[in-house]
Amino acid sequence: MLFMNKRTSIEIFKSVVLALFLREVQTRFGTKKLGYFWAVFDAMFMVLIFAGLKSAISSKSMPGLDFPVFLATSFLAFFLWRNIVSQSMHAFEANKALFAYKQVKPFDTIVTRVLLELLVSSVATLIFIGIGLYMGLDISVKNFNMVMLAVVWLCIFGFALGLMNAVFAYFYEFYAKIVNVLMAPLMFVSAIMYSVDSLPPVLRKIILYNPLTHFIEMIHGYYFHPLTTQYVDYEYMLYWTLIPLWIGLFFYKRSEKRILSS
Amino acid sequence: MIELHNVTKYYKTANEKKYILDNVTITIPSDVNVGILGRNGAGKSTLLRMLGGIDFPNSGIISSPNSFSWPMGLAGGFQGSMSGRQNVKFVCRIYGKSDYEIEEAIESVREFAEIGDYFDMPIKTYSSGMKSRLSFGLSLVFDFDYLIIDETLSVGDKNFQEKSKKALRKKIENCNVLLVSHSMPVLKELCDVGIVVHKGQMHYCNNIEDAIATYNKINK
Repeated sequence: MLFMNKRTSIEIFKSVVLALFLREVQTRFGTKKLGYFWAVFDAMFMVLIFAGLKSAISSKSMPGLDFPVFLATSFLAFFLWRNIVSQSMHAFEANKALFAYKQVKPFDTIVTRVLLELLVSSVATLIFIGIGLYMGLDISVKNFNMVMLAVVWLCIFGFALGLMNAVFAYFYEFYAKIVNVLMAPLMFVSAIMYSVDSLPPVLRKIILYNPLTHFIEMIHGYYFHPLTTQYVDYEYMLYWTLIPLWIGLFFYKRSEKRILSS
Repeated sequence: MIELHNVTKYYKTANEKKYILDNVTITIPSDVNVGILGRNGAGKSTLLRMLGGIDFPNSGIISSPNSFSWPMGLAGGFQGSMSGRQNVKFVCRIYGKSDYEIEEAIESVREFAEIGDYFDMPIKTYSSGMKSRLSFGLSLVFDFDYLIIDETLSVGDKNFQEKSKKALRKKIENCNVLLVSHSMPVLKELCDVGIVVHKGQMHYCNNIEDAIATYNKINK
């Protein structure tokens, strides 16, 4: 017989997130045989395609670094962020059946999906490092701690947007459609296949309105020896993290009961 | 013991509020098994969901020092793409059970549910009878103060109905049950007191026979 002992809310939160995490691992990857494959290889295909394109157009435009490594850091970071935002948006709907247990809160499903994307991205990164070493590419990092800080911050930024989107998309179907439309061209305007410095000043100004550009530039600037973080505006990044986080938490708190009971 | 204090719950329909509970204050004493009666749509299931902590009154307070099971019903509670075994594991995990306890629970649910190989098939391939076998078997693993049961006893074949009633009788030696059913014999057999939900009010009857009589009067 299993006895019901009183647990603190933190203990409940931890056991729920663990249970949800294991469930997501099984349903996302277990049921579809190619699930694991796609999780890791979509970034790899992008690197291959754009590295190929680049070498076809011009042989050397970023002196002092290996361009495939540049692309790899970009796409790993971009897919991590994009998947966190898009997976969070549908987390409530996908776990609705499990809200029958009062321990499971909608918020937990978002945290779970962020952790899951982090795991997928970590595995992909390890594979990329393996390939880089095998091919003899220069994968050395200029400032490891700052790169890690940038990645963690990027995850928090994704979580904040994801939470906010999840709440709005749950009540307004149209909202999810708009977000998807906005996300589509983002890959091309986030300094992923090029550096901000390589752009003409007019374009530079425009592209720096995109907060994601700053995150990618921060990672590049601290990863590669020849690059700098001169265009990174930390204050701007902080606004883009804290404001969605506040809006997300505020509206989540207000609508948690409606999400649970609808 | 369960206390409802000025509890109001309504649903908004196209142009009016439909009241499930309209300013209800009531105390359900400890150590009684409660049968809940009411017409379809009167709000029995909503009441159970509120007691189970997954739905909330628009105003007022529901309080209890006791622990409640999840509402066991025909729908919900299981993730369709996961197998029976995975769902059992999931529920054990959210209740913070150790690996050893989870293994024990899986064994006992598998034995009780008698769904054979389906135990390792996705829930979406189950019939509704199989789902309630699993749900009921799973609830027997935990020690709640109150079991919340919504109609599940009336599904399944005769054989399984008898088995689950027997298991439930044994279970309620140590806990209480909040039971929604349209089957009067089941209510008489398992419940001590009754609540009739009708037109936004809860009529508490000290005796299940009286509750059935009240319910029959409403239906005339």
